[in-house]
Amino acid sequence: MSGSARSEIFAHLREAGRGESEENIQRERLSLGSASAPAPPATEICQAFILNVLKNQGSVACVNNRAEAVQAIAHYLYPHFHNYRLVTGNDPRLAAMPWRDAGVLPRFGSLEAGEPVALSFARLGVVETGAAVTWTSKANPAANNFLPEHHIVLVDKNDLVPTMEKAWERIHHALEKTGRPRGINFIAGPSSTADIEGELIYGAHGPHRWHVVLLGDVPVDAQNIARAAQRNQC
Amino acid sequence: MEQHSEAFLDNASKALKNGEQAQRRDRITSLASQIRAAAVERFEEFDGLKHHIKKIRQHSLDNLDYYLSQFEKEAVHNGSQVHFARNSEDLNSLVLDICQQHDARRVAKGKSIVTEETGLNSFLQSAGLSVMETDLGEYIIQQAGETSSHIVSPALHKSANEIRELFQQKHDLGARELRETSDLVVEARDVLREHFLQAEVGIIGANALIAENGYSMLVTNEGNGDLCANLPRVLIICTTIDRVLPLAEDATAMSRLLARSATGQLQSCYTSFYSGPRREGEIDGPLETHFVLLDNKRSNILSSDYREILECMRCGACLNHCPIYNSVGGQAYGSVHSGPIGSVLTPLLTSLEHSHLLPNACTSCGRCAAVCPAEIPLPDLLRDLRHEEGIKKLSAPRWRYGLKLHSWLARHPSIYQTLAAISIRILYQLGRKRGGFSKLPFASGWTSQRDFPVPQERTFTQLYKAKMKQSNER
Ligand code: SF4
Repeated sequence: MSGSARSEIFAHLREAGRGESEENIQRERLSLGSASAPAPPATEICQAFILNVLKNQGSVACVNNRAEAVQAIAHYLYPHFHNYRLVTGNDPRLAAMPWRDAGVLPRFGSLEAGEPVALSFARLGVVETGAAVTWTSKANPAANNFLPEHHIVLVDKNDLVPTMEKAWERIHHALEKTGRPRGINFIAGPSSTADIEGELIYGAHGPHRWHVVLLGDVPVDAQNIARAAQRNQC
Repeated sequence: MEQHSEAFLDNASKALKNGEQAQRRDRITSLASQIRAAAVERFEEFDGLKHHIKKIRQHSLDNLDYYLSQFEKEAVHNGSQVHFARNSEDLNSLVLDICQQHDARRVAKGKSIVTEETGLNSFLQSAGLSVMETDLGEYIIQQAGETSSHIVSPALHKSANEIRELFQQKHDLGARELRETSDLVVEARDVLREHFLQAEVGIIGANALIAENGYSMLVTNEGNGDLCANLPRVLIICTTIDRVLPLAEDATAMSRLLARSATGQLQSCYTSFYSGPRREGEIDGPLETHFVLLDNKRSNILSSDYREILECMRCGACLNHCPIYNSVGGQAYGSVHSGPIGSVLTPLLTSLEHSHLLPNACTSCGRCAAVCPAEIPLPDLLRDLRHEEGIKKLSAPRWRYGLKLHSWLARHPSIYQTLAAISIRILYQLGRKRGGFSKLPFASGWTSQRDFPVPQERTFTQLYKAKMKQSNER
């Protein structure tokens, strides 16, 4: 059925179409250029990213290096869970972190029932939308992004890009080497719903808390914004 | 596509009597409109972006055969299987075939208006499958056995109380009371979590297809679509052929308009791109990914004067801003699509004969066109459909004769003005003392909701003429 359906549908489309050559079509698309992006909420890139993450109802911790990242994660875990356990993918970048120094006990793999918190290492952070970009792989099981109650994402300052257009440039470039994954996810905040009388509730299906750990040389002003917000959120 | 739009007038009359529902609808849609307005205002380049996306959409539709086959090639390259469906029957049986090949018994569904259009759920259920909607709003109406009342919030017509009662009936609650809205959400989350984990097949829709890399784009806030896409063994993505955009950046640029117009966000919580099966070494994800691409008259619409309707991005803004939608609610339309977009799309996807009342559900106020991020001239398309309705003589004779009479009068201004002056004078004389009419012949619909105000003694034209005469004499 699908075969004949295909030819019927394409026959209709060809009738309706302009019958341009591939070259002309591509040239026309090129001439349309790229879209305009919204202005960032601050000129400094970390500050803008943090402000948008907060807007998406995420929380942010800023850290200078991997040792501090592990400490920050421990600080996040204990008040919520009274332990230092989390699940994370088999990402070599995460395996190499000094977990023991802060007493954090990662389990490497995919989230299972009864495990409330997972950590992912973002490939990119998109300033425009306050989003973390991940893609599926051996090192990044999808369940870790969508099933936990708390989702912690590590974003390297060097991986921040201003817009979604720039994000695609980086993604396509990275995928040239590895081939395309089956899923690419731009995640911007905890899972939410307003389906009952328009009231906004977090934790519809996925995480009800979304915590970003921004790693790198983050300017003090940006750090202060994150810290002030955390104090308010506590 | 199942539709009951013939009953629009009866449904609308009934809906007008449900004041509580109307108030709730008004509250939610006004809130959505305000949030949208604030988000659009913050984005200075919003209009520029609208024009850009309009050009991209037109370019894609102009060359749809090219882009659709490019999409197909790339999706297959990613390891997906691509199927084409001419109509609802094709889509439903393609999906059932895939489920049966995998001995599937349970299906978890993300929100997909396309499969509502084809009636997929009841088709799969009659073949013995258990099908669970997982978007919270869709889940609620599925449990209640009702249809969607809003493109973005399908259960907008239901109060939290009604939903609580529904869960009390359908779920084994024990001692749990579900007092707060958040309790209701957690309850649904727990029930659906089980289903996600057991389902063998996940079905999702797509907001766009990307020709350059063969991915679909799915935009959600709940993340249910992502669970459907990642947990079951088989993923089926159902969408229509007109959703293709040339580049990945075109899809995310469109999502800028969509997120702001629908919910005022910078980006919905999850903007996800899927294509192909689990890759080597991965521990989760589907073993097979299928795209089922539906035509269902879209290729006809493409070569008609209504082609712009295919540029709709399903944001719901036209519903939120429509006085008719706000008065009668989505279910009155008797179709999967309601509001201004539904009033154009339903006749095109079914037949004008069965749904000609819908294009009349319009006051020509123009608010829908003003807020539509796809710049679709909805009032013009509705007028064109009414014009067709007139040519085909589909409306009741008394309407047609009434309109003929009106058009004759409009072309004879002196008679029109004389008659208007007489009737205004009569109304003035009759109502002068009472201050308003609670009943009027031929206007019982109007007076059922409010009093008809008493007009002034003379018409505007009479006053204007008198004024002109005075100033000429001076
Ligand atoms: S017609 Fe326009 S406003 Fe209405 S849902 Fe579609 S894109 Fe949104």
